[in-house]
Amino acid sequence: MTKRLSMLLLFGLLTVLLISCTAQPGGLVQQVVVTATPTVRPEGAKTVLRVGTGDSGEGLTPHLKIIEQFEAANPDIQVQLEPVGSGDYYARILTQIAAGDPPDLLQIGDDAVPMFVDKGAFVALDEYMASAQYPLDASIYLPGVQDPGQWNDKQYLLPKDFSPLAVYYNKKLFDAAGLPYPQDGWTWQEFLDTAQKLTKTDAGGKTVQWGVQLPAAWTTGFEYWVAAAGGSLISEDGKQFAGFMDSPAVQEAVQFYADLYNKHKVAPPPADMNAFGGGNSEFDNGAAAMRIFGRWPQAGMKDNPNIDLGVVGMPVGKQRANVLFWGGFGLSELSKDKEAAWRFLRFYSGAEGAEVWKDWALPTVSAVADSSGLSTDPIEGVWLNELNYLAPRAYVYTPFWGQTADPALRRVLESVILDPNADTAALLTTATQDAQTALDDLLAQQ
Amino acid sequence: MQLDSRPRRPNRLARREAITFYLCISPWILGFLIFTLGPVAASFGLSFTRWDLLSPPVFTGLRNYTHMRDDKLFWQSLSVTVRYTLMYVPTELVGGLLLALLMNQAGVRGIRAVRTIYYLPTVISGVAFVVVWMWIFNPQAGLINATLARVGIEGPRWLADPNTALTALWMMSLWGLGRTAIIYLAGLKAIPPELYEAAEMDGAGSWPSFVYVTLPMLTPTIFFNLVLSIIATFQTFTSAFVATNGGPLDSTLFFVLYLYRKAFQEFQMGYAAALAWVLFLVILVLTLLVVRSGQWWVYYEGEKR
Repeated sequence: MTKRLSMLLLFGLLTVLLISCTAQPGGLVQQVVVTATPTVRPEGAKTVLRVGTGDSGEGLTPHLKIIEQFEAANPDIQVQLEPVGSGDYYARILTQIAAGDPPDLLQIGDDAVPMFVDKGAFVALDEYMASAQYPLDASIYLPGVQDPGQWNDKQYLLPKDFSPLAVYYNKKLFDAAGLPYPQDGWTWQEFLDTAQKLTKTDAGGKTVQWGVQLPAAWTTGFEYWVAAAGGSLISEDGKQFAGFMDSPAVQEAVQFYADLYNKHKVAPPPADMNAFGGGNSEFDNGAAAMRIFGRWPQAGMKDNPNIDLGVVGMPVGKQRANVLFWGGFGLSELSKDKEAAWRFLRFYSGAEGAEVWKDWALPTVSAVADSSGLSTDPIEGVWLNELNYLAPRAYVYTPFWGQTADPALRRVLESVILDPNADTAALLTTATQDAQTALDDLLAQQ
Repeated sequence: MQLDSRPRRPNRLARREAITFYLCISPWILGFLIFTLGPVAASFGLSFTRWDLLSPPVFTGLRNYTHMRDDKLFWQSLSVTVRYTLMYVPTELVGGLLLALLMNQAGVRGIRAVRTIYYLPTVISGVAFVVVWMWIFNPQAGLINATLARVGIEGPRWLADPNTALTALWMMSLWGLGRTAIIYLAGLKAIPPELYEAAEMDGAGSWPSFVYVTLPMLTPTIFFNLVLSIIATFQTFTSAFVATNGGPLDSTLFFVLYLYRKAFQEFQMGYAAALAWVLFLVILVLTLLVVRSGQWWVYYEGEKR
């Protein structure tokens, strides 16, 4: 009997070994981590600040420029940038926080704010902003750009860059069809008509030109459609989806979106459901007349010979709405020199930093936006104008949005895009139930 | 019953030999304890807690395990992984064998080149490999659909369609047959040629000699490949993570991918640890079943029958 038991135990051990051996070839994607190694501090010297960012490659240039300017103005502080240019940025900083050694300043995206702030990873900045020696006046910012950095009425993060949604259009295709360019304040119906007029099929029935390229099952981008339809996805207390996610307004939004793909066929089907925004390339190839997305690919579009770029605000549904996507910097709770870190954060997110950012993205400070002429630019001005119509994003109502409603909503969008006969109402009811169950479960565990 | 010739009382020489032995293997033992056994034990402990990396772990008892029963995605990921394993393992075994038979023609000119060419895909790093295949599967511009379009057929949407995504991943992984084939090749080369001569003298053609000589002599290799293949396929991660991230509509949500998502995207470390242990148990049970069944179909030379 003992012999058999020991054989079983030995076998169990062997299996563990085998599993750990076989895990290598097909195992987890290896991480290339780039960390600036902190230099040895010379005598009597500078405070060293570490700044974590998820940007990489060319995106690091503005960071480095700001750091250079700051170090010149503040010779007693040295700043080291720690970029992690891969998808696991959040996992990495969480590990660093768990180990007690995170960077002094951390960059995070809008929907990660509740989780990090709730867990105490960031310091509330209101005191620092009101301090006499290094103040920061929040009124310098454009409308809405500091809101994503707030939680429970305190400011935890300051904005780095942002983008609402807008409609790109290719003037070449509009000219070829003899159509007038879209005007600000246009309606959903006008948008649909324009898209239909710009969709062309060849003799064989295959579409050679699409009216609009949509961002597939992108859930956060979809919140615009919900807001414009006059609906919302969650109750204000953040505890209930029933009556919100399955409301007639949301259903109308989903149906309109799905019809663009399957009924009116003005949008090309997604090329890669996994890629951010569907992975389509029709607009870039000049095969689609319009595109709904954020400001991120704009620089590439301006250089693209197939496109004569114009930008117009999002169409108006029952009301005019838009949603903001945002990245910001916060001061880590575990930072050892918070005052020095605040001095840099103030530079980074304030007017001085905005002067550098404006060459790469929209600046967050309204004075910089005006003085650089961006507010009146025919393209950039559109983005800035959209900031006046922002609806709150759904994640601000609960820190569990990403684990509960987001996957459920994504499943609804994927289903209606892939299946022309999908029953929108039934899908939304199921999604609401799934999200509610998951949320109740998580709330019960708290 | 003592079968070896060790003396019954450990004398000094024996003791010194034992010490030398343990010293020699101590680096490995230390590595094993620190990097394998330690984390495994920690993971077992964590599976009874709730932990999000930021706050300290909170003991929750068996809650993680009972939650799995109601977790729709748990069952979905289990179903996807089992279906994929059922698709992939038999084709890997059979396909690898066929490939090895092809590679086994010694003396044919260029056979070495053939072997190299078929083994080459297995050398390519996982992520690069998957990205190339994502382009091949692109519904509009990819190699497959473009070729089909030229013949006038509209190809399926591969990775973008929940009905075909798993099949696409299966096709993608078949490129890795070279690894199994090489192992079979070694097994084939170990079959004594006298057996084939004896079969020929008895008037056996190529098919009977395959069934009655090659296959039985290969059963240890088949057994080895089967066990390893089950263990590895249950842990498929890279292809799903890079190509589809579990979509569309969770049709390629592999178990380890779901575990990864729970751990590193939703920061539910305790639940993920519990999932890992469930996976371990499933693989352990399957492996034990296969090993037990081996006594009926695996033939080792030198065994007394």
